[in-house]
Amino acid sequence: MRRITIDPITRLEGHGKIEIFLKDDGGVENVYFQVPELRGFEQFCVGRPVEELSQIVTKICGVCPGCHHMASGKAADAVYGVEPPPTAKKLRELFYMAHFVHSHIAHFYALAAPDFVVGPTADPSVRNIIGVIEKVGIPIGSEVIKQRRIAQEIQALLGGHQTHVVMNIPGGVRKGLTAEERDDVVKKAEGFVDFGKFSMNLFKDVVLGNKTYVDIILNGPYALKIHSMGLVDNNNHVNFYDGKVRVVDTEGKELFKYGPNEYLNYVAEHVEPWSYLKFPYLKTKGWKGFVEGQESGVYHATPLSRLNASDGMATPIAQEEYEFMYKTLGGKPVHNTLAMHWARLVELIYSAERCLELAKDPEIIGKDLRAPLDNVPSVGVGIVEAQRGTLTHHYWTDEKGIVTKVNIIVGTTNNNAPICMSIKKAAEGLITKDTEITEGILNMIEMAFRAYDPCFSCATHSLPRQMRMELVLKDSEGKTIRSIKRS
Amino acid sequence: MSLKQKVLVLGIGNDILTDDGIGPRIVQQLEKEKLPSLFAFQTATVGGLEILEMVTGFREIVFIDAIKTRDGIPGSIYYLTPENFRETLHLTNLHDINFLNALKLGEKLGMELPEKIRILAIEIVEDMEFSEQFSPSIREKFPEILEEVREYLSRISD
Repeated sequence: MRRITIDPITRLEGHGKIEIFLKDDGGVENVYFQVPELRGFEQFCVGRPVEELSQIVTKICGVCPGCHHMASGKAADAVYGVEPPPTAKKLRELFYMAHFVHSHIAHFYALAAPDFVVGPTADPSVRNIIGVIEKVGIPIGSEVIKQRRIAQEIQALLGGHQTHVVMNIPGGVRKGLTAEERDDVVKKAEGFVDFGKFSMNLFKDVVLGNKTYVDIILNGPYALKIHSMGLVDNNNHVNFYDGKVRVVDTEGKELFKYGPNEYLNYVAEHVEPWSYLKFPYLKTKGWKGFVEGQESGVYHATPLSRLNASDGMATPIAQEEYEFMYKTLGGKPVHNTLAMHWARLVELIYSAERCLELAKDPEIIGKDLRAPLDNVPSVGVGIVEAQRGTLTHHYWTDEKGIVTKVNIIVGTTNNNAPICMSIKKAAEGLITKDTEITEGILNMIEMAFRAYDPCFSCATHSLPRQMRMELVLKDSEGKTIRSIKRS
Repeated sequence: MSLKQKVLVLGIGNDILTDDGIGPRIVQQLEKEKLPSLFAFQTATVGGLEILEMVTGFREIVFIDAIKTRDGIPGSIYYLTPENFRETLHLTNLHDINFLNALKLGEKLGMELPEKIRILAIEIVEDMEFSEQFSPSIREKFPEILEEVREYLSRISD
């Protein structure tokens, strides 16, 4: 048996890796995707006042601190049995839309575009954001940096700090928005909408306008027929901040919809001896293994699954793009993994439009920022959509609000089984007998999991690091016969 | 003193992850001391594009980050530059781009990048466990590490 290891950071300890085991005939035997888990997060939280957690959890991950802050804030509301006033909820959502704009821009231009604008098998020295800018022009690169900075400014304005967010307190938010500040946010949000539309047009020109890329998306080894999860509002439209979690099956039919405090009735976690990271699955289906299909318990929680699980987008331009995407890809649900990039751009437009909508809402400058805490604290669950999937925070406290237990299911964890399956499927499609394992092949395997925008800092409470990859070919006796490194 | 004349000392890491937060801890400590107004201090948790946005406009930048190398001696400081850069724990960012590409991107976009970039990478022991306390060996060596950084900064002049 040959063994291929795609090892992100071989020199550092505590990193993730992908191991591909090959059969003697050269085909793929199995794939293991492993990430280490940090220790002691629950113990770190126990004994602290629950309102402290919303600030602590922003340090779990430097990439999506706002998501943890929001889920934590909502869980703390639930612990106290309190509903924030409308202004507070809208301010939180406004912050959150800026957070989405910031993150989705980075993913598209820095992680997705290199594969499509520069090319999936292009030389790695140019297959990066700089190569993208070489192709699309320097002004666009400057705009990427500018729009991200503006999104950070809005987060800092509302959250007190762009990453160490101190916005939420049980029952509301610490600080409101003045009319002058609101006017500034409106202008900035208008810029987001323009940039979202521009990015979508770029995708259409560069990706949809290229037959080879469309073929890779539609017919490459990148499809997975599994169930889809996403947070929806009362109209079953995509919502990132609030609502119920809806799950549709592989045919797009609703399986169930649950509120935050019901999540344990619907989602369970499977454990594999070779992985620190658990594998969530649908309880109603049961764990049937790493298999696709209607009877499988495997689901994904991604931009694409959110669109699959919804009946549409709540803003007009995003809705048009939603309809166009499904029309182009042959209807709902879509199971093509690389279509996640397209769905992410639909979400970018939605975040921008929703940001503008909220900024223009007269209630956004209201003064009622916090509801009184009249109940004895006990248990609460908060759910939001993080950029990388449904994020659940579950806290237990004593009657004084001191934390006694914590459970968190983060976005990437939802996608642990799908990521493993997608990598395996890509490897099976790309590596057969006598395949020369090139850097391009390695990248095309990596594309399968990069589409999920996995963030292991969340999933494992580990820290974000550059994905350096090493591919090692080993013969049946474990002897290395070839090694390819990439950083 | 204008931003263009200043040196930004940027500590990167997570201060609730045992030794991982050594960069921010050093910066927090130095900030309390009466160092020349030449220096500005900031902390961050991730590298990549975020860092590019933070360093723009400064004359020089001194990163203080954690590093883990095979058989490294805890508390050792490696003095690196972009030319001999090796991956420290945070100057790379899985989510977007690595540090060197971020700099190249900044150059390409005509951003006002610092004239000089210095990286102090401190060998740590533990970054896999949540704690606000350093591991015993880093805790013991912290005063020496801090003094070495202080001494290094004192050699940077107007």
